Amino acid sequence: MRKNTDPQAAMKQHMGLKASTRITNTFVYVLLIVISIVWLIPFVFIVLQSFRIESTHQESYLLPKQWGIDNYIHLWHTNFPRWYLNTFILALGVAVLQTIIVLCMSYTLSRFRFKMRAGLMRFMLILGMFPGMLAMIILYRVLDDLHLTGQYGNVVPGLLLVYVASSGMGYYVSKGFFDTIPKSLDEAARVDGANRAQVLTKIILPLSKPIVIYTTLTAFMGPWADFVFARYVSQMYQDSLNVAVGLQSWLATDTMIFNNYTYFCAGGVVVAIPVTILFICLQRYYVEGVTGGAVKG
Amino acid sequence: MASVKMMKVKKIYDNKVVAVHDFDLDIKDKEFVVFVGPSGCGKSTTLRMIAGLEEISDGTIEIDGQVVNDLQPKDRNIAMVFQNYALYPHMTVYDNIAFSLRLQKIPEDEIYDKVTKAAEILGITEYLMRKPRALSGGQRQRVAIGRAMVRNSKVFLMDEPLSNLDAKLRNQMRAEIILLRKKLDTTFIYVTHDQTEAMTLADRIVIMKDGFIMQVGTPAECFDMPANLFVAEFIGAPKMNIVKTNLIREGNRYFVTPFGVKIEVDGEKGDTLRAKNVPAGEILLGFRPEHVSLSDQGIPVTLEVNEMMGSELHLHVYTEDETRLIVRTPTVNLSRADRENLAYGAKLHLSFEGKVMHFFDPKTEKNLLCD
Repeated sequence: MRKNTDPQAAMKQHMGLKASTRITNTFVYVLLIVISIVWLIPFVFIVLQSFRIESTHQESYLLPKQWGIDNYIHLWHTNFPRWYLNTFILALGVAVLQTIIVLCMSYTLSRFRFKMRAGLMRFMLILGMFPGMLAMIILYRVLDDLHLTGQYGNVVPGLLLVYVASSGMGYYVSKGFFDTIPKSLDEAARVDGANRAQVLTKIILPLSKPIVIYTTLTAFMGPWADFVFARYVSQMYQDSLNVAVGLQSWLATDTMIFNNYTYFCAGGVVVAIPVTILFICLQRYYVEGVTGGAVKG
Repeated sequence: MASVKMMKVKKIYDNKVVAVHDFDLDIKDKEFVVFVGPSGCGKSTTLRMIAGLEEISDGTIEIDGQVVNDLQPKDRNIAMVFQNYALYPHMTVYDNIAFSLRLQKIPEDEIYDKVTKAAEILGITEYLMRKPRALSGGQRQRVAIGRAMVRNSKVFLMDEPLSNLDAKLRNQMRAEIILLRKKLDTTFIYVTHDQTEAMTLADRIVIMKDGFIMQVGTPAECFDMPANLFVAEFIGAPKMNIVKTNLIREGNRYFVTPFGVKIEVDGEKGDTLRAKNVPAGEILLGFRPEHVSLSDQGIPVTLEVNEMMGSELHLHVYTEDETRLIVRTPTVNLSRADRENLAYGAKLHLSFEGKVMHFFDPKTEKNLLCD
């Protein structure tokens, strides 16, 4: 086919393309702004409600008439600090243990070749397809037999056990990331005198900051935001609740909603603070971690 | 400094592919041995087995008299330079070179002395605080060599260290490796697919094909007396011309008749044929492009391609029976008119002497003059 070499026609075509790109971009940006607003409304709403002190129940207006931090102060006179501590210890413990297990598992599957390796990976893939909820009842029975449910006091060890136990199965993203690091680096380090553990800690992990951060963040977020399993295992014993279950317990009835709504909002903000700070500080690594494992470089 | 001994070493992969067959080799202390061969010949696998990065399926490897079959790479006291440099990207050049020394828990001031001395030898002092990504290919390769140097290892292994460099830098680094070898005075095992590197660096060359050793010898031995057709064609650039012809014996004299032209095998080659009493018959005759000259009489050929290489011409010609041959001709002997006449379709005559011929058995492809 002969190319159109007429400069006027080419210019016209170029202008046409430019106009259509501008229209598309405008449409995309307007859509994104609308989505952002819709997405931000609940957050803004909760933050505003948490500073409203003229009443504790829901109101039909958005902006508080009286501003203050009374709701936050009130939190300290409830079980909230205990729930917060429960959740924080649990999330921290899971983040540390799960990160170690996932990274070791991923490194092993990425670098070692052993019998049934492929079979094991397939098995874990299939096993991961079953919803975790299916195991909830039997897990409760096991934890109850081990005296690790709410009625026996602190539920943190039991939940830690459950959250960490299946961590190894979440190896996919980090294994994909490790696969992109040349094996010759491991080999060079081994020739240089490093053992396998030193190769992992001194070579592979420093090169895998995004994936370590991604793994830690996701491991932290799981128990931090868990509701269903935490509620079931805690059996609503006040000392055993995490923040999600505890805060929800403040809204169990209409009367409670009337009395506790602004406290609930203040609690929600306090729960969101550490996660928000973590994500803001580490978002660059987080995105690299999510996308890094996806494409083999 | 150490000897390396390999006895019946074999490598069979899980998929039953045999990468290295019964590899026997005795590398002497302070010797520079080059494994050379085409891709997939098993040269890198053999090197990696010596390094301990690849398990051996059978046989024994000894370094300095100690069997190392089951030793980890770190316990073999070897140093290795990798094809892709394998520098640790998150460390500075200094930390890269110091890495192995820190693992040995050597005091930091001693590490400093060793690293700066190695950097000085390699001319990378000014780059010590840079990360590898801020270095050129040649500088990276020097860092990789420096990392291996500071370990004072018994054996220095190099896996195609120059193959990622451009031609000019490769020549420069090749010369630097020769100088480095003199300074380090240790045992070197070097892998390459480039026969020029092998010829220029090696005390002995090990030529490999499909996991088998084809020949072990000095560069001169491999060039002058290739053990078989593969070595004859692999060593030397452009490769040796091979033609099927007849070896004729008339009394005590031997002749060959390539393309109907009768040429006497004289000199040392003729003496060896007589001494070995080689029978007349069909053979594969080899002669190197540089041993063929243009002449007024001889084998008639037609010029197809003329490659101007600067100091010489590579003439690709074909004979009347369409056999392709290559001729190397120094340009210094050619007038401008001669050079202009060497154009596509030019009719030429080639000649070569009996003393430069190589004779191979057409069935076994072995050199008829070798034991």
